[in-house]
Amino acid sequence: MSTLQTSCPSFSDLAEYWTTDIVPADIERIERHIFECQRCARLLTEADQLRTAIGDLAQAGAIHAFVTDAVLNRWARDGVRVRSYALGPGETVRCAVWADDDVLVTRLRGDFTGITSVDAEMRFDTGEEWGQVTDVPVRNGATELVFALPASLVRKAPNAPMRLTLRSAVADSTSGNVLAEYVFHHEGALDRRTRDG
Amino acid sequence: MSRDFPGQDGSPARSAGKSYCHQRGGATGSPVRRGASLAIDVFRARRYVSHVTRSNAIPLAACEDGVLAREIAASDAGEATAAETELYRRFAPRVRLYGYKHLSDRGAADDLAQQVMLVVITRLRAGEVHEPDQIGSFVLGTSRMMVAGQRRGESRRAALHARFDAQDAMVQPSDGVALDRERIAPCLAAVRERERTILLLTFYAEKSTNEIADALGTTAGAIRVGRHRALASMRDCIEARRPS
Repeated sequence: MSTLQTSCPSFSDLAEYWTTDIVPADIERIERHIFECQRCARLLTEADQLRTAIGDLAQAGAIHAFVTDAVLNRWARDGVRVRSYALGPGETVRCAVWADDDVLVTRLRGDFTGITSVDAEMRFDTGEEWGQVTDVPVRNGATELVFALPASLVRKAPNAPMRLTLRSAVADSTSGNVLAEYVFHHEGALDRRTRDG
Repeated sequence: MSRDFPGQDGSPARSAGKSYCHQRGGATGSPVRRGASLAIDVFRARRYVSHVTRSNAIPLAACEDGVLAREIAASDAGEATAAETELYRRFAPRVRLYGYKHLSDRGAADDLAQQVMLVVITRLRAGEVHEPDQIGSFVLGTSRMMVAGQRRGESRRAALHARFDAQDAMVQPSDGVALDRERIAPCLAAVRERERTILLLTFYAEKSTNEIADALGTTAGAIRVGRHRALASMRDCIEARRPS
């Protein structure tokens, strides 16, 4: 189809087009290429759709992830309703989500000096696992990790104590050193009208 | 001129145009007719594009860009409608992407795509594109000029809107099927935690690679690798979940 098939960039290279740090020379190179290559034009469209969908999911609060203040700031700008809790190692918090919450954010405080990544797991007192993640990136010297969960997911969680354990990430996560534990007394989904009434 | 647009006065287009082209010979060397009318009739063209009836011709969808451009330049009014539509189908999405990158507004990008393609096809028809084989460069150049014009606050956009107002109904505002949340959410959830954070910071928080590296305590190179891996993983996942 193309009349000038210069070497095609990878999908990842094309996706760079949509990042904020692409330099003008690369923008021009990609644009020159996609106006000659229909296949890469389609890939660039795919990359656009993908990053748009990621943004839409994030804006809807439909993600579970360890995030940074940059994401919290963007949520604030987008009017996403965030319910926040903060607790230190060994602390317990009574928590709930309200009917109009979009995201539940927990600031997990601790001393993460010398740690580059952690694994996290959440278990009920019965030992049943509710969820786990591995290889959470940690900035050296960080004093907190910010964990975000969709409010819709938390609403479905049983009303029961839940323990979140952070371990330093090693090859075998079960043998990693426990860094901190946090206990959530989940009180379910609340409706302000019912509560106030 | 506007009276020559198909359907504008309630009448059907005079011709939907040929549904095939000749990669060699054919339109090459044919006289360019100037001042012919512009007609992009998506509906009619779609009906014809897949109907190849001549053994020595190939479907428009398989024609090179330059061949399409030459076909349009060499045709009488209304005879190259299918070629015009095919050219539009190929390049409007690219102009739209270009527009969104530089204008940061989906609506403005849709408008730009329409305006650029109208100008391109009009100039092809008028014999003002001197190298039809380099039509991609011409479309890109036109896009650049029009974006620069918009930034300077020129009234080109409004004037073109007024001139080609009747073409609005022929524009398809989006490309293909957008990724739905149900399809992408499990794929985003499936990538590694570190990579999910990188994707969110890149495409939602719109942070630069260096800023993300600072926030996560790693190097810009590691962020690029993580993003590369995450995008590849998501593409594979989305493809696997594509409805049959």
